Amino acid sequence: MFEILPHRADLRIKVWGAGLEEVFQSALAGMNEVLKPGFCQAERQFSKEVKLELEASDPTVLLVDFLSQVLTASQEQKVIYCKADFENLTSQAVAVKLQGMAVEGFDRDVKAVTYHEAEVKKNEKGEFETVIVFDI
Amino acid sequence: MAIEKNNLKKITDYLWEIPKSFRSDMRVPVRIYATEHMLEEILRDRSSEQAINVTTLPGVQEAVLVMPDAHEGYGFPIGGVAAMLLPDGVISPGGIGYDINCGVRLMKSQKTFEELRPHIPSLARALYEAVPSGVGRGGKLKLNTQELDEVLQKGVKWALEHNYAEENDLEHTESRGTLENADPGAVSAHAKNRGRDQLGTMGAGNHFVEVGRVEKIFDGEAAKTFGLYLGQITIMVHCGSRGLGHQVATDYIRLMLNKLSNYKIILPDRELACAPYSSPEGKSYLAAMAAAANFAWANRQVIMAEIRKAWSKVLGGDGGKLELLYDVAHNIAKIERYQIGGTEKELVIHRKGATRAFPGQPVLIPGSMGTASYVLVGTEEALTQSFGSSCHGAGRRMSRHEALRRVQGDKLKEELQGEGIHIESGSIRGLAEEAPEAYKDIDEVVEVVSRAGIAKKVARLRPVAVVKG
Repeated sequence: MFEILPHRADLRIKVWGAGLEEVFQSALAGMNEVLKPGFCQAERQFSKEVKLELEASDPTVLLVDFLSQVLTASQEQKVIYCKADFENLTSQAVAVKLQGMAVEGFDRDVKAVTYHEAEVKKNEKGEFETVIVFDI
Repeated sequence: MAIEKNNLKKITDYLWEIPKSFRSDMRVPVRIYATEHMLEEILRDRSSEQAINVTTLPGVQEAVLVMPDAHEGYGFPIGGVAAMLLPDGVISPGGIGYDINCGVRLMKSQKTFEELRPHIPSLARALYEAVPSGVGRGGKLKLNTQELDEVLQKGVKWALEHNYAEENDLEHTESRGTLENADPGAVSAHAKNRGRDQLGTMGAGNHFVEVGRVEKIFDGEAAKTFGLYLGQITIMVHCGSRGLGHQVATDYIRLMLNKLSNYKIILPDRELACAPYSSPEGKSYLAAMAAAANFAWANRQVIMAEIRKAWSKVLGGDGGKLELLYDVAHNIAKIERYQIGGTEKELVIHRKGATRAFPGQPVLIPGSMGTASYVLVGTEEALTQSFGSSCHGAGRRMSRHEALRRVQGDKLKEELQGEGIHIESGSIRGLAEEAPEAYKDIDEVVEVVSRAGIAKKVARLRPVAVVKG
C-alpha cells in the first residue's frame, strides 16, 4: 500500500506492508503512479521484461537502490514496469523479474529516488513502513 | 535537535551564525544570509539542520554557507555552499545535486520591448516549437556513444566544432563551457543511455526559456559593460544535464555510500555520501561530474543555437544578433583557491543552488514566472566572505501539492497574459506547480546578497514570454 504525501519541492510517498515483499511491491506501485498515474491500474499485456539483482547493507538502502534501478531501466527503455516477481528477497539482497509495457512518455520527470527520510522499520501495527522521496 | 532563532548569533542584519558549539559533531559554524523574517522561514524546514550536517564532513573549512533562497534538499540544503580542503577533504555528490550543472544563460538582443511587442506571440510559439521540452522528451540530436563521449569531453567546444556556437559564446560561459578534467569513461552506460537523445532539450519542472525586458538599471556602469540598457529584450534559458546528470549523481551516491567504511566516514545522512577528493571514488566522481557539466553546457549552447534560428525566422534580418551575456552553473563543484587562516589553500567548492560570483562576473538570478529575474555582478567581497558565491534564484516556499491545490493552471495562464506575459506551456499542471506564489520573493533574496556585499544589483528583468515544458 502507498500514499502520496506533500513535499515542498518534490514528491514523497509513504509505503507499508506486512512483510518486505509487500513494501517493495507497494514502493514500485507508488513510483509507477508518480511516473504515469493510472497506468498500472489498467489491464495490460506486458511485452517488456528485465531482471535485476542487487545487494545492499540494509533493507532501506536495498529498497532505494531497487527503485533506482527500476527507474533507470524505465527511463532508458521508456517502459513502465508494473509487475514484479521476486525470486529472492532478504534484508540485504533482491533478485526480481520485472514486466511492463512501453510508453510514449512519462507524466513526471523523476530525476532520482533519494535516500532522504527513507528508513524501513516496523510501525505500531507490526507492519514494515517507510517514506520514499523522489527528486523531480 | 530543533534549531530556534535564539540559537543563532546575529552578525549583521543580513548574516546569522549557528556556532559550532551548537552540536558536538560540528567542525565549523553555519552562516545564513537572510533577513530576520527570511531566517524564520528557513528555520521552518530542515535546511539549517542539513547545513549543520554538512559541517561534520571531513575537510570542511571556515563555515558552511546558506543563501537567502535556501530550502530543504537532499544531504546539502539547496542554496548551500561548502568548501573542503584538498587533497583529503571530501567531495560529496549531494553538494552538487542530482541535476549537475543546472544553470542559467542570458542572451541580449538589439531590440527593445516596443519593437518586439507585435511579434511576441509568434516568437513565443516559435521558441516553444524550436526547443523540445516536457518530461523525458528527447530532441532532434540522437548521439551514438562516440559522439556523446565527445560532448562529455569537450562541452561547448564540441558545439563550436559542430556549428552550434561562436567563439564569443565560449568567452562568455563559466569555465568557457568546458571542464578539462572530464572523463567520459567515468560516466556509466546507463547515464549515457538516459542522455543520448536529450542534447538540446529543456526538460520540465522549473526549467524554461524566458523572453524578458530590462525594466530597471541599478548600476549604469556595470550595465554598460554588460551591454544592457533599459527596455532591451533579453532571453534567458534555465536547464541542466538532463537524465545523464541525474544518473551520474545516483551512481556515485550509491558507490560512495558503499565505500564509507573504507575511509572511516560516519554520516548523519546517507545523502551526504562522500569520499576523499584524493580517493579513486572521489577522483572518478569529479571526472564524471565534469563530464555531466560539459553535457549541460553543450545542452544550453545547442538550445541557444535553436533560439537564434527561431529569432531570425520570426524577425528576419531586422532582428539583429542575439549575443550571449553569460552562462552560470548553479549546481557544481569547482577547485578554487582561497585564503584560509592567512594562507592560500586549494579547496573543492560545492555550490548547490548557488552561483559563482567572481569580481566583475555577471551573476544571473532567475525569478519565478510573473515576477522578475536579476542580473548581478560578483564582488571582491564574495571572495572573502562566501567562497566567491551568491544565491541562485527565488527558492521554493510552497509544495507542488499545495500549489496545485491553490492555483488553477488555466486561470494562472490567463492572469499572466493579462499582465502582458505570454505563456507557452506543455503542461497546465506544470504551470500551476510553478506559480509565482510557490516561490520566495526574488526582490528580497537579491536585496540580501546585495546588502551583504557578495553580489551587486545591475539590472532587473521583467518577463514578457515564458516557454515551459
